[in-house]
Amino acid sequence: MRTHQQKYKAIFFLILTAIGAVSCTKDFDKINTNPEASAQIQPSFVFTKSQYDGAKNNLNLLLGTMQYTTSFNDVAGFGSKYISSQSEQSSAVFNAGYYQEINELALVITAVAPNPEQVNMLAAARIWRAYCYSRITDLYGDIPYFQAAKGYTDASYKPTYDAQQAIYADLLKELDEAALSFNTTKPTFAAADLIYSGNIVQWKKFAYSLMLRLGMRMTKVDAGLAETWVKKAIAGGVITADADIAKINYLSAGQDINKNPISLKLYNDDYIKADGTTNTEGGKYQEYFITQLKTNKDPRLGIFSVVYVNKVPDTTAALQKGMPATFGSRPADFVTYSEPNLKTVVAIGAAKIIIGAAETNFLLAEAVLRGWYNGATASVLYENGVRSAFKQWAIISPTDGIISDLQINTYIKYHPLITTGTVEDQKKQIFTEFWKAVFPDAQEAFSSYRRTGYPALVPNNYVGNATNGQIFRRMLYPLSEQNLNKEGLAAAVARQGPDTFLTRIWWDKL
Amino acid sequence: MLLFGSSIFPGYAQVIASNTVHLNKSNRIQLPSENRTGLKLAVEAIKKQFKINIAYKEGILENKSIPTAQVENLVFTDPYEALKQTLNGTALDFSKISESQYIITEITSGNLFADVIKGKITSGTDNLPLIGATVYIKGTKIGSSTDANGMFALTVPENMKGKPLTLTIASVGFTAQERVITDFSAPLNIKLEESSNKLSEVVVTALGIKRDTKSLGYALTEVKGSEFTQARENNLANALTGKVAGVNASGLSTGPGGSSRVIIRGNGSFNGNNQPLYVVNGMPIDNSVPGGSATTNGLGNNVDRGDGISSINPDDIESITVLKGGTAAALYGSRASNGVILITTKKGKMQKGVGIEYNTTFTLEKAINDNDYQYEYGQGLNGVKPMTQADAIATGRLSFGAKIDGSDYVAADGLTHSYSAQKDNIKNFYSTGTNFTNTIAFTGGNEGTTYRLSISDLDSKGIIETTKFKRQTANLNINAKISNKLRVEGLAQYNLERGFNRTLAGDALGNPNWTPYEVANTVDVRWLAPGFDASGNQTPWNDAPIATNGYFVKNKYQENDTKNRFIGQGSITYDVVKNFSLKGVLSRDFYNYNYTFVLPTGDLYIPNGQYSGIKSDVSETNALLTGNYKTRIKDKFGISVLGGVNSRRFENKQLNMDGLTFTIPYFYSYSNLATSTTTPRTERIRTNSIFGSADFDYNNLLFLTYTARNDWFSTLSPEDNSILYQSVGGSFVLSDAVKLPSSIDMLRLRGSWAQVGGGAADPYKINLTYSNVPSSGQPLQNVTLNPATLTNDITNRLLKPYTSTTYEGGMELKMFKGRLGLDLTYYNRKTTNDILNAAISPTSGYNNVILNVGELSNKGVEALFTGTPVSTSAFSWNVSYNVSYNKSEVIKLVEGTNTFQVANSVGNWGYINQTVGSSYGTIVGTRMLRNAQGQIVYDAATKRPVKTGLEELGDGVPPLTMGLSNDFRYKNFNLNLLVDGKFGNKVFSVKEVYATRLGLLKSTLPGRESGLALSGVDQAGNAFNATIPVNELRAYYNDMRNYSELFVHDGSFIKLRQVILSYNIPVNDIKMLKLQSASISFVARNLLTLYKKTDNFDPESSFTNGNAQGFESIGLPRTRTFGLNLMVKF
Repeated sequence: MRTHQQKYKAIFFLILTAIGAVSCTKDFDKINTNPEASAQIQPSFVFTKSQYDGAKNNLNLLLGTMQYTTSFNDVAGFGSKYISSQSEQSSAVFNAGYYQEINELALVITAVAPNPEQVNMLAAARIWRAYCYSRITDLYGDIPYFQAAKGYTDASYKPTYDAQQAIYADLLKELDEAALSFNTTKPTFAAADLIYSGNIVQWKKFAYSLMLRLGMRMTKVDAGLAETWVKKAIAGGVITADADIAKINYLSAGQDINKNPISLKLYNDDYIKADGTTNTEGGKYQEYFITQLKTNKDPRLGIFSVVYVNKVPDTTAALQKGMPATFGSRPADFVTYSEPNLKTVVAIGAAKIIIGAAETNFLLAEAVLRGWYNGATASVLYENGVRSAFKQWAIISPTDGIISDLQINTYIKYHPLITTGTVEDQKKQIFTEFWKAVFPDAQEAFSSYRRTGYPALVPNNYVGNATNGQIFRRMLYPLSEQNLNKEGLAAAVARQGPDTFLTRIWWDKL
Repeated sequence: MLLFGSSIFPGYAQVIASNTVHLNKSNRIQLPSENRTGLKLAVEAIKKQFKINIAYKEGILENKSIPTAQVENLVFTDPYEALKQTLNGTALDFSKISESQYIITEITSGNLFADVIKGKITSGTDNLPLIGATVYIKGTKIGSSTDANGMFALTVPENMKGKPLTLTIASVGFTAQERVITDFSAPLNIKLEESSNKLSEVVVTALGIKRDTKSLGYALTEVKGSEFTQARENNLANALTGKVAGVNASGLSTGPGGSSRVIIRGNGSFNGNNQPLYVVNGMPIDNSVPGGSATTNGLGNNVDRGDGISSINPDDIESITVLKGGTAAALYGSRASNGVILITTKKGKMQKGVGIEYNTTFTLEKAINDNDYQYEYGQGLNGVKPMTQADAIATGRLSFGAKIDGSDYVAADGLTHSYSAQKDNIKNFYSTGTNFTNTIAFTGGNEGTTYRLSISDLDSKGIIETTKFKRQTANLNINAKISNKLRVEGLAQYNLERGFNRTLAGDALGNPNWTPYEVANTVDVRWLAPGFDASGNQTPWNDAPIATNGYFVKNKYQENDTKNRFIGQGSITYDVVKNFSLKGVLSRDFYNYNYTFVLPTGDLYIPNGQYSGIKSDVSETNALLTGNYKTRIKDKFGISVLGGVNSRRFENKQLNMDGLTFTIPYFYSYSNLATSTTTPRTERIRTNSIFGSADFDYNNLLFLTYTARNDWFSTLSPEDNSILYQSVGGSFVLSDAVKLPSSIDMLRLRGSWAQVGGGAADPYKINLTYSNVPSSGQPLQNVTLNPATLTNDITNRLLKPYTSTTYEGGMELKMFKGRLGLDLTYYNRKTTNDILNAAISPTSGYNNVILNVGELSNKGVEALFTGTPVSTSAFSWNVSYNVSYNKSEVIKLVEGTNTFQVANSVGNWGYINQTVGSSYGTIVGTRMLRNAQGQIVYDAATKRPVKTGLEELGDGVPPLTMGLSNDFRYKNFNLNLLVDGKFGNKVFSVKEVYATRLGLLKSTLPGRESGLALSGVDQAGNAFNATIPVNELRAYYNDMRNYSELFVHDGSFIKLRQVILSYNIPVNDIKMLKLQSASISFVARNLLTLYKKTDNFDPESSFTNGNAQGFESIGLPRTRTFGLNLMVKF
């Protein structure tokens, strides 16, 4: 029976070996490590991504609302027609912002904050985060802020919605602190910083310029507070020279993320065929915008706008004509309407201006009118603003955006700030120019419009509109928030008012 | 009287025999110490000693004795020897029928062998010999039974010779036969037909273990392979529809080569895979859809690429066993928590020469028109019909025009047509699909080796003629007995599957169904053909370029996929000693997959085109070692023990290639893209397991099974990646224990409790990682996205196994000699610590979080009734009715959260949610706000009903399913009718949303002539009355999409699922062809919908096999299939 015993032993051993092998989990760690991903964060790479994402997160439908563009198509024309069935389009910036730029900045800040050597990176990330948050809250009002983007670190899956007033207070505090925290002896993000390549002096100007913008936002709701912050910003030093403009440069080829987001969107949505006829979503410039440029003999008309004649783009001013936002179907003369110039506005490799010198100059002009600033006269600042607004197109498109000094001077000569008028008249002039100056950043135009009331847009009372024929005062929260953050949303609605397009946000109080 | 032992225990005799190898004094047969011992006493003693049955004619042992000494001093080593020595010198002979069955016969003087009737009994189903079948002379107790080769010899008593005799031939599980014999010398060949109502049957259970059904503590259903081969479905799993209680199988509206969704006893996991584990010959295979399932709102290449089970050729299947309960599946571990579908493939048979089987099926498929549109007002807007081509294109999908009057108008093709209703667009757009399957199989073998090789070709053309699916399969199975102790088995299956232009689903872009369904109602869809102009660019037909011309999709969109799949399996079984065997199996299911999708140049929405490609290598490898030991203690207790280890490795290496803008127009190559990205994806999973099971039985009355398994998962937290889970089940055969009315053949009770543990299905859920983002400038990085959903998900360092626990109890009753059967089961299944990939507010910075928190309950009953109302030799009628009801309930979600979102429709018009206290997968959406009196509350400013917040609108999954199968046999004709139904669910219809917005539904008729009068209350509660003028009607109906409730309908249905009329060709009449059998059948599937509540779509129109069920979104129309099947065996 010896052979049996040997056999049993062998089998027993075999089974034990097999059991040993299966209960062995020592290489599980390796098996469960994704070979295509890194366990370590590269804060500078994530910061660059957040700059692209923050600059990309635009509510392009506002191009229609601000009456720059329109479409006969109801879906694409939502911004200019306010059709109720398309209301959800308005939630896009809210939806995209948090899990992209806001969370990316949270990751960067978590990574660099503990190391005092990285103070400049922390400061840049805080300033950029303030910019990104301001873009979201200006559209929706109360939004999750203090508990937001803490899903991973604090298991906060349903952040509370914070009052815009509190958010503004914190944004301004962040800008103040961050601007003061820069240290010229410490390293920066350098080339990973798409805006200033790590230039600390310019970052401070950007922080104070944003502070100026946000401070001015509060003029209607709390003029005293606005004054405090505007003065602080001016004292800190804002962007006034074209060389200091906060902008991101893009590539004309390669990955989509490296391309100008507004141009790319316009191009892909509508103007890709470049023939004036087969515009995918039926888009054209809106009548009001083109009329404004044309009647004022604005040299930007030829830079912004073309009409296709026999499939060839023509910038002749006389040909330019905007399309009314009242069309419900393709008009027979569709080809005769102006559309964005592929060499400038829709140039994929064009730079995008984040905060330009035109804006700050116009805001400074307002500060003068309000008596908060006396470093220059309102008309000089206004002129500087117009000049920058014209000059910046050469920055955006160095070959096709050039407007000569003669053209600029001529324009200024015929459109000076009429200082003999009322303050309101001057504001009207300033902020109508502002509207043209920030194009195609319709989101900033929308905020400026809500605060100042300019330009004097005539709302479109289109069939089936959601606003009873009025221009939006805010955008809607995503419907999914009802599902995913019901209590938080309910609290915001209770505080701010119903989640409609006409409810006014905190700083837009009448 | 002919005596048989009370019960037969297979394998019993061997046990005793092996115990007598070393016989000592105490093992000798104890006999009364007299000079002579009565022969009957001696035979009874042998019977008892060796636990065998000895049959003999009553009286032949009486008055016979043998010397006691002759017996006492002999050492009997086995029953044969004992009988031989005992009967020595008597006028009696004996023969061995089987190890446990002997028969004693009289030696008749003078004519010992002349009047012995000899013959062979075989099964009518497969011609295999029947062992242990009995042959009696009718009206007597004289009989014999067959040996291992099915042979019998029956000695005819002297007094019966010379007269015709009637023999009764019977075998368990077969219908008894009578034969009149006149010529005793002619050898008999008797075929017994399988009876449909078996008292006891052997079924394949987990790990391929064959067990008697009566010993099982859980419900299990076996379906014969032949049920899938006649009225076949390309996807085998679809053919399970209506056949098995508790199994909710549904095919998708995605065309040939599409996936299926099979759910057993409800959905057990919120996000995880809820489909059963598919096991072929004991080893798991992969059932994933390459690149993931289609989504409910996808654009572009959102296509059903076919699942793993669709690779199996129905002709290769011997049987399919559905293991429903946890106990049944516990041995397979985590992935079996949703049940197991065991597929046993056909094997070779020992036979002379080569057996050839040929099966061919040709079927035609016709689209069913489900549209119930309005045909009163035609194309146009504001009550005006188009009179120019531009107007016609602008209103190409709008039916808000003038009253249809047959006058002239201009359509999108620029031509003048009659302004008449076009009701045949479904018929006109879709062509007749075809499916042609040919399978040839060769079987053969000798005692040592058997083999079967099948080669099959499936050639399908969809109802969109450019959609094609081709599948070639070769399947080889070899079994060899190398020695008495060593057996090997090998299985190799190679598949080549090619799909062409699978139909896109979800949103409008590239969805060819969009055009025939949503085109204005006075347009003949054929006017839009061929969909492209001279340069190959799409011709416009409507105002929204995203709604692609269906003909352009048909003719210019390109989708190609190729799957090379190899399933290999080898096993060695070694009988170490008697009753103890070891088995090692290695199996690998491997496929490589290539997919390309081209959105062509010239599309109106994406004019420069788009490209998507997937290349992946997927493998599932399992190594299994099991040891099996069986014994009996005394004669009443049986024990069988099994232990084993398994190691599973899964790997997916994938490259996704996506790009935009073909630089050279109309040239479709990845190398010709202006913007492109290649994303690698590697997934690896390892699960190691050790398991064991023990089966006990007492006296064949009471059975107990215990199993335990421990798994270690690579996908879970290293601190908490192992789980031990157990199951216990029992069965009690009441009818054998106590005397029940004679009408009851069998009554047994069963019950079980089982736990199954599981790990995360996807790897890399433990640690947050960072991935580089393709950039042409500065390097970019972000949190690694979930590759399946492209969302950023919060990982969970503490991820631990989840548990699924099932209780079940049931009974099985057979009555009236198997003519009536009833099988009832109640189950209660609960999943705890489910691994939840919960959607969270994006304001958290992430889209989803992975948590171990969900709790989900499924309770239900299943019943199966079988009956044979008529059974005569010429005509029989068998009925089988199965019904099951499953109540699911979401018990717990993330702390502080009552609901989470599974899916959303196009446009967010509807959602599928999981909500605490509700059923699994609830449809959620908005309603029109109503006051307490039920009046609609209007917003006076917009003249639209105020919409409510999100509310629950119904269950997405039907709780009640049933199937009724009727089999009629008249002589050589068989007719099978299968009717099935599902009840109690709701479906949200995207098609109806569009058809409402576009003025196609009858519900958009009010107000066409003089405006729509609204009446209700305003938000202040005052009476509200307003009129929507005709020129604002379009905007009004367009806004109806804001009220989801309008598009949610009861999804209940009853369908005549299958009809098979077959004729067994009497092959004996055409002997020259040497056919063994042949049959020809008319087959049909989905012939009629007998009941449904949806007016405009088929309630089964799902297009994803993922967990988001409850949306219809303009998928392919359902089809009626009918054709012919021919089957011959040589």
